[in-house]
Amino acid sequence: MIIIGEKINGTRKKVAEAIRNRDADFIRQLAERQFESGASYLDINAGSLPQREPEDMVWLVENVQQAVPEAILCLDSANKVALKAGIEKAAKTPMINSLSGETFRIEGVLPLACEFQTELVVLALDDNGIPKTSEGRLDIVRRLVEMTRKGGLPDEKLFVDPLVMAISTGTENGNITLETCRKLLEEFPKVHLTCGLSNISFGMPLRPILNQAFMVLAIQAGVDSTIINPEERELRSIMMAAETLVGKDRHCMNFNRAFRAGKIGPKVDL
Amino acid sequence: MQDLVKAVADMMEDEAMALTKKYVEQGVPPLQIIDAYKEALGIIGKRFEQCTYFVPELILAGEMMKTASEIIKPVMKGSQGDVEAPRIGRFLLGTVAGDIHDIGKDMVHMLMDINGFEVKDLGVDVPAQRFWDEYKDFQPDIIGMSGLLTLAFESMKEVADGLKEMGVRDKVKVIIGGGQMDEHACKYIGADAFVTDAVAGVNLCKKWVS
Repeated sequence: MIIIGEKINGTRKKVAEAIRNRDADFIRQLAERQFESGASYLDINAGSLPQREPEDMVWLVENVQQAVPEAILCLDSANKVALKAGIEKAAKTPMINSLSGETFRIEGVLPLACEFQTELVVLALDDNGIPKTSEGRLDIVRRLVEMTRKGGLPDEKLFVDPLVMAISTGTENGNITLETCRKLLEEFPKVHLTCGLSNISFGMPLRPILNQAFMVLAIQAGVDSTIINPEERELRSIMMAAETLVGKDRHCMNFNRAFRAGKIGPKVDL
Repeated sequence: MQDLVKAVADMMEDEAMALTKKYVEQGVPPLQIIDAYKEALGIIGKRFEQCTYFVPELILAGEMMKTASEIIKPVMKGSQGDVEAPRIGRFLLGTVAGDIHDIGKDMVHMLMDINGFEVKDLGVDVPAQRFWDEYKDFQPDIIGMSGLLTLAFESMKEVADGLKEMGVRDKVKVIIGGGQMDEHACKYIGADAFVTDAVAGVNLCKKWVS
């Protein structure tokens, strides 16, 4: 499972404060903790007003990559100036989050991803919003994959997000996402599937339990990447268990190693 | 009619509909039945605030309300006219241009409705021009703009600036809502208030119109 750590996001109050006050220690700690918890990619979203975003993005990139040089950065923005500044500052080619069928993203994000040959998150929505059916979402992805191929970006670099709507507002919403996953992999076997799955539980009690159950179903449907808070121990445990159970963990070594390292399962008091 | 109030408030859909039919057949005045629903919706709203009810309960309440008004409508004709309870204010709502997030907006819609506002929902990715046009048509007391992305700031500012140019900014309250809204954004956009959750927004709007 490729874990993209979600916590360095300026739409969260504490992170916004740290960005405003240039509190490098706070950001570096967030980066280190997520990386140690298994996030090999770190999402970076400055979340600031457009005119400030490029500057904030560069500052975040600098600090995160100094804290964890091994991690790959995932630049999360639709602002092409901020994205370009971030890409140029990044020591390793970053991932870009995200392209979608929305005109401004096709115009702003796609050319950068092609020019710099970055990995790219692709969202199954367009100017009309998120389609209610898996076929509608597939149509958008088809259109976008055609564009990325034309731009010379191999399918392996794409992380397609089938999108998740809240189960509280429609009881078919889980099935629609899972069906989209299966159809996507049939048609584009080389792409990665990624998922910010916590949306599934919006408006519901006991959100962590719903998120965990949905994670298992998503892995069964072929999701191999996720944008989460990697420090949630229970979610991480269930995720690793599910991957092992669907045969994606050779000799079960990922699971057993994580157990020995004390990274999954109940916390043992020493 | 406490049995009906309880059935609706406790999400007993079949029982609530059966009781509604029974009371209609017995010739209970429609407005009395509607009052029972209003009482139940008040309880539901409280339970939502107390976190024992969640979004699915709000949606089911909305559906019960709709079915009930279908049942009541035939006997309303010619008597009291509109099934709808009197409204406390008009609320124009939409997710601004460039943003398609709708969960927060939909929750605000439902809660405002339950709390007695007449709501006009323009949907998602709504261009500024539509807010201005609808302002003239609908004459809202409050305009609510929703957005999750920071991109939404620009669109919100455009709407608010346009209202100023139309010379109506002081005639209408503007509230912005979304996860990343803060005082800084509120000032930049020129809104009257910002909120980060639906319940807070509804409570503020109620204060404004009272």
